[in-house]
Order: sequence, then C-alpha cells, then structure tokens
Amino acid sequence: MSESFIHTENLCFSYTDSEGKKESPALKGISVDIKKGEYVAVLGHNGSGKSTFAKLLNLILEPTEGRLVIDGVDLTAQELTDELILQLRRKVGMVFQNPDNQLVATIVEEDVAFGPENLGIPQNEIRIRVDEALASVGMSEYATHEPHRLSGGQKQRIAIAGVIAMMPQCIVFDESTAMLDPSGRREVLDAIRMLNRDFGITVLNITHYMNEAALADRVLVINDGTLLLDGTPDEIFAQQALLKKVGLEVPQCAELIYALRKAGVRIEGEALSTPEGCAEMILRAYRNKGGLSHE
Amino acid sequence: MSKITLDHVSYVYSKGTPYEQKALDDVSLSIRDHCITGIIGHTGSGKSTMMQLLNGLAAPTSGKVLLDGYDVNTTFEDLFAQWKSLPKYENLSKSAAKKAIKKDIKDFRRRLCFRVGLVMQYPEYQLFEETVYKDIAFGPQNMGLSEEEIRERVMEAAAFSGVEPEWMEKSPFDLSGGQKRRVALAGVIAMRPEVLVLDEPGAGLDPRGRNSIFEKIVHYQKTTGSTVLIVSHSMEDMARLCDDVVVLYRAKIVKQGSGREVFSHADELSKIGLDIPQITRLLQMLKEKGMPISDDIYTVDEAVAALKQIL
Amino acid sequence: MKGISFGQYYPANSVIHRLDPRTKVILAILYIVCTFLCKSAVGFGVLVLSTVLLVLLSRIPLRLILKSMRPMLMIIAFTSIINIFWTKGEHLLTPDGWWLKIYAEGLWNALFMVLRITVLIMATSVFLTYTTTPLAMTDALEQLLSPLKKLRFPVHETAMMMSIALRFIPTLSEETEKIMNAQKARGADFSSGGLLQRAKALIPILIPLFVSAIGRAFDLASAMECRCYHGGEGRTRLRVLKYHWFDFATMLLMVGFGVGVFFLNRIGIGYVLR
Repeated sequence: MSESFIHTENLCFSYTDSEGKKESPALKGISVDIKKGEYVAVLGHNGSGKSTFAKLLNLILEPTEGRLVIDGVDLTAQELTDELILQLRRKVGMVFQNPDNQLVATIVEEDVAFGPENLGIPQNEIRIRVDEALASVGMSEYATHEPHRLSGGQKQRIAIAGVIAMMPQCIVFDESTAMLDPSGRREVLDAIRMLNRDFGITVLNITHYMNEAALADRVLVINDGTLLLDGTPDEIFAQQALLKKVGLEVPQCAELIYALRKAGVRIEGEALSTPEGCAEMILRAYRNKGGLSHE
Repeated sequence: MSKITLDHVSYVYSKGTPYEQKALDDVSLSIRDHCITGIIGHTGSGKSTMMQLLNGLAAPTSGKVLLDGYDVNTTFEDLFAQWKSLPKYENLSKSAAKKAIKKDIKDFRRRLCFRVGLVMQYPEYQLFEETVYKDIAFGPQNMGLSEEEIRERVMEAAAFSGVEPEWMEKSPFDLSGGQKRRVALAGVIAMRPEVLVLDEPGAGLDPRGRNSIFEKIVHYQKTTGSTVLIVSHSMEDMARLCDDVVVLYRAKIVKQGSGREVFSHADELSKIGLDIPQITRLLQMLKEKGMPISDDIYTVDEAVAALKQIL
Repeated sequence: MKGISFGQYYPANSVIHRLDPRTKVILAILYIVCTFLCKSAVGFGVLVLSTVLLVLLSRIPLRLILKSMRPMLMIIAFTSIINIFWTKGEHLLTPDGWWLKIYAEGLWNALFMVLRITVLIMATSVFLTYTTTPLAMTDALEQLLSPLKKLRFPVHETAMMMSIALRFIPTLSEETEKIMNAQKARGADFSSGGLLQRAKALIPILIPLFVSAIGRAFDLASAMECRCYHGGEGRTRLRVLKYHWFDFATMLLMVGFGVGVFFLNRIGIGYVLR
C-alpha cells in the first residue's frame, strides 16, 4: 500500500464548445495521490467535475494543464502516442453508467473477450481469461446468453468481467450503480469489493451515493472542479454541514448523530460511516448516562 | 369508493410462449384518495405493470381496473350487449346506439390518459419539441384545448415542477438531466390529471436533484389535493414521503397500509430483499442491545426526538 | 418485445447446424448455381428431393419454413402467370382461334420457375438463416470477404458494424416501445388520421429515439476505446472458425450434385428447357 499508482498535480480540464472556444473549466487543479491497492470513493453532485476526473485517468479526455502520472509513467510530460494510450488503458479499466451502452457483442462470453481480442492475446489464453473473469463475478452460467435479456446488475457484472479479462491494475467505476435497483447495486458493490480485496486491484468508485462511499478506504469529495475533502469515510461524514452545502447528504445514521449532538447530547467517537458504529456510539452515551448499568 | 381500485387483477406477459411470466397475480387494491401512496418492490415485482394498467397502456389478463367505479377496459361488446338497459342509450335506435357506444368507448379511452397522468421512468427521454414550452404543451394540445387554456396550464405546471420561466424558449436538449426531468414532469402535470402516477421519479439523480423533485411532487399534491402514486424501490424516500405504502413481491401484494404499519414489519421486508431505512436498522440494533426504544421509527426526525428523551 | 429474438435462427443440434458458417455460405451459393443449371424435368425432380432431404437433415419443422414462404406467394404467382401466358412454343393447348394462347412449353416453364424459386428460397434460408446465428453469419462474411481487404474494402469495420447493429436491435426496439408508451400517456394518437397525419404523429417517437441512439453511440465508442479497440489490426478472436473434413466433404458433394444435375439435362427424359 505504499507505492503510488495515480498521482496528479494541479490537474485541470476545460471542455471546448462547438466553435473551438474553451468553456469555463470543469476541473480547476486537482492534486491527489492514490496508492496501489486502495479503494477510493469519489463523491460529488452532478456537474461537480467528478466524471471529468474519471475520464482523464483513462485519457478519454486529455488534461489541459497540470501533471498526471499513472503507474510511474508521466502522461503529461510526453507526446501521447497511440501506443502509450493503449498501454495506459490496459492498466486502467473503466466501467460506465449505462449497462446497455457498454456491451458490444450479442453473446456474453464474446463481450467479455472483446478487450483481450483487441490486445491480441492468443486464442487459448482468451478462453481461460474469459472463463476466469466470468467466474469471478459469478456469471459463468450465463456465458452463452444474450446480454439484452439480463438484469441491469447482471449486465454491469458482465461489463466488469470484460474489464477484468484485460487484467488491469486499476478499475474506475463511473457511476456504475446509478441506474440499478437496490439488488443490482448490491451485486456490483460486492463485485467491486471482491476485486479490491482478492485481486488487489486499485478501485476508484465515482458516485453520489453516500452509502457507497462508506464502503471505501478513502473518500475524495469534489465540488466545483476542486478537491474539497479527502479522508476516511468517518472523517468525511463528520463534515455534514459542508457536505449539505455542496448538495450531498450523509447517511441517515450520521445525520442522526449530528442532530443529537446539535441538540446538546454528548456522543463520543467518529465511527459515523456504518449503522453498527453509530449504534455503538449511542449505546456508549447511554451507558455514560447511567442506562443499562445493570449489565 | 376510491378513485382507483384494482379488482382481482392478473397480468401475464407473453402468454403461451416459453417466456410466459406472471407480472401480477390476483391483486386487489384500493388507493386512498387525495393521498400519496408508495408502491414498493424490486425489479420484476410487477410494479411497473401495475402503472401501465392504471392508464390503459395495458389491459389486465383477468380482473378489473376501476376508475371512479367504472371498468377502464370496458369494451364495445360489453356495453352493446346490454344497451337497452342503459339509460344513456335506451331511447336510441339500434344503429344510433351502436354508433354512440363506439364513440363513447373511444372517447373514454382517449381521456383516460389525461385523467390518469403517467410519468415514466427516466421521462427526460420523451422530450422532443423545439422548445421547453412546446414540449410541456404537447399533452394539453392533444386534449384539444384553446391556445389560452394551454398557456395557462403550461405556466401552472411549470411552476409546480420548478421549470424556470427563462427555460421556456430554450431547447429541452440544452438542459441538464435534472432540469429535463422537471420539464417532463410538467408535461404530465399540465394535463391536470386526477391521478398522478410516477415511476421512480428520483432515479439516477444526485441527492440534490432527487430531493428537489420529491419536494415538488409533495407540494403539488398538497396544493391540488390530487391522488398521487409513486413507484419506487427506495424505502427511505417512501418512508419520508408517503401516506400509504403497498409492497409488491413476486406479482402479489405482501404488505399494505400506512407507512408506519408497513415499516413496522422491517424484518419481513428485508427478508424479501428490500432495503429497510438505515435509521430503522440502527434503532433495531439499539433495541436488541436493551435500550428502551421503539423500533417502528423510520425517519431521522422521529429518531432524534425519541433518543433525545433518554440520552 | 423482449420475447422476440432477432432473426429466424432455429436452435437445434443437426448436421447442418454444425457446419462451419463459411461452408454454409459457399453451399448456399453452389445450390443457387445448381438450381440455375437445372433444365430438365428429371433434374427438377432431383432438386426437389434434395431440398426435402436438406430440410429433414436440418430438423427444422417444415411447417415453419412453409409459413415463412407465405410472403413470397405473390411473386411466385406473378411469375408463373407471366410464364404461362407469354411463352410461345410449338404445342398449342388452347383451341385455334382463341385470342388467348397457352402453349405446353409455357406450363412447363411456369412449373420450373415455381419450383426453382421455392427450392432456392427454402435451401438458402435453411443454410443461412434457420441454422446459422446472425453473429456466426457476420463472422463468416468477414472471413470470406477478407481478400477484399487488399482492395481497401473495410471488411473488418463492416462486420463490426453489423454485429453492433445486431446487438442494439433489441435494445432500440425496447426503447421505441417505451417512448411510444410515454407519448401515448401524453395523449399522442398514432392510429387515426390520414397518412400525413400519421407520419407527423411519429415525430414525437423518432426524435427522442434518434437523440438516445446518438447518445448510446457516443457512450459505446468511449467504452470500446477504453477496452483498447483500435480497429482490426493485430486483433485475435475468441471464436476462430475452423474447417473440418466434413465441411470439405459436403462442398465436394455439392459440386458433384451440380455436375450430376447438369448431365441430367443431357439425358432428356421428359421436358427439357432450351
């Protein structure tokens, strides 16, 4: 966990309009250092610049200013050749928001094979990679199905398998759960955690769901193109007033603790990110008050 | 009598093919008038089908959908078979009655979609006009209203949905996702439906956008007193917004009643795969650990009030 | 809409299903040549028999194939009428003096033409649509046409476009239904009025559909780039088509069949076309 994987300094980006003029910047100087194997959630409301940030990491968009170093390769210090971009995309995979718009093939296993095929991997190895990737997201039995008959969560898992089959070191999830129902969301979040834990893949989950941010090791909050907060979920959720101001809301439990404190109740601790942690804190406060003393 | 009643309604998809599937199975339900009712269930529970039945986009395989006590799928044959006993037609000749019934059925079905307004999931995808104003006016125009009345309705609907006056002459495609959704909502409200049905109105929006659209819906309901149905899988939102809640699971109603009644069965709900509000889960944990607190609390405000007493 | 699978592929495990799709394309072409080589009554008899055999081998219900022939009935009827009344020959069948003249040759021609069209459609649809998935078809065409790459014909790109189109047809048809429902819910009327009015009523469907399709195209392009797509160069495939001895054997058989049909013309039992 010591080696840096993504390193940005004053990273900026402005979209150009149809007449070639620069619009107001979408990213105004982001400096951050993400280590190998970290699970990072990137929070922000729509239009905050969080998706722009994600697209820069994969060079779908090219930074207009600043430094971007990925896996030791400085991408802003040299001419961007096709070769360089391909190498980067091998390392940093991406899963998008709309499950329907990222599946290419009419058969599940063909879709998973799409990335390795592009990389020119020999046929027998593609077979192994496809089978392993499908197994790792629990979709082996659907290998020969047609993707359009699957549920949203299943389609997203296929998209994830397609990225895993390229064996990247890092996967960026660009609001990949936004269009899913709760069970689909759970499927995808479980897959993300598995990738991070079992495969040691660096994960960036771009989201506006606070409950998802709670699952990460570290949370970045982006607002108006700048990095507003950077810390553990507990630290971030303690900043309720600030989060509200930028259009985000904390999970109900953190909100409860915040409201109780505001009402003058003394609750110690910072475990705001999970209901379990919050329950523990409230129980402690209750004991201090003399409740449950018979225990 | 409630405005909307389902009477033993079943709906089967792709009947007679290998893909045959029951979307609703003998569902009976009365929706309380002038209230917000939440219909909760996960994908495939039948909730989207139910919405389409309400405004005639789909007809039930069996059973009746009643609007003000009238079966919305009444066919020409149903009425013509008994025209002599219907006061409206009894004085007509047979051919005149036939004609009148045909026209009445057609008119009713056409008016049905104006009476039961349907806001589909991701409604921003239905925008097509050159300007926001014209798009909101599409529904009222189809109703055949005068230019003046259309204008009045568009303005009223825009105000309810939070469509800013300066957007009116813009192209809807130049707006942001959340803004487009408000325009789409206005397009349905402008028909002044007696019942407003919304499918996942908050889906895909960020917290700010979601809260704002829900606020608009609640405000609209309170002001007009109309009957509102919201279909969603977010228990937290439904707990906050709805007077009544209906839970669908595998094509059947498993719970129904006031929000409090339904959410008091949190265990059963999480057993069928629904996310109970986080706050309810927290209070359950506290109760288990022996704190003297009720666990049928499902909003943060209630939890604060209850905990303040004992802490 | 969800229940409808695209294309007419009929899943079964038959000899024909197992043939390499490229073989089936070649067989279909050879079969077409055979039907045109055939000129004798005996030849057509053999041709019909071979088609029946083909259908039996493919294990596709004959009912299904006949049903799909229905739209062709008009064309078949039309060509046979033309042949009956417009062919001049030596054996006049109608009595002298009638303004309508029908010759025996005309009847034979009509019969052969009907048989030719029927056999042709049945055989090619068995080879190309009923037993071959659209995806396999795309692969086959890509490989068979690959020599055209030398002429700078974008073979890979065309095949990729075809397979993406196949992938998105169900998605877009579902979307069309959704948009239609949404506009119906706002009182749009698609079923009354004149032609112009009906065409106009489609605008509220077509515009959102186009807007969304373009959006999807952009998304898909990004997603493909992210998965290192850079054209056909240096690309490997998960599924590589491989000819087996059986493929060569069937092709040889088909060529033999063609030669046989050609010689049957020479024997000249029954009527022979000139």
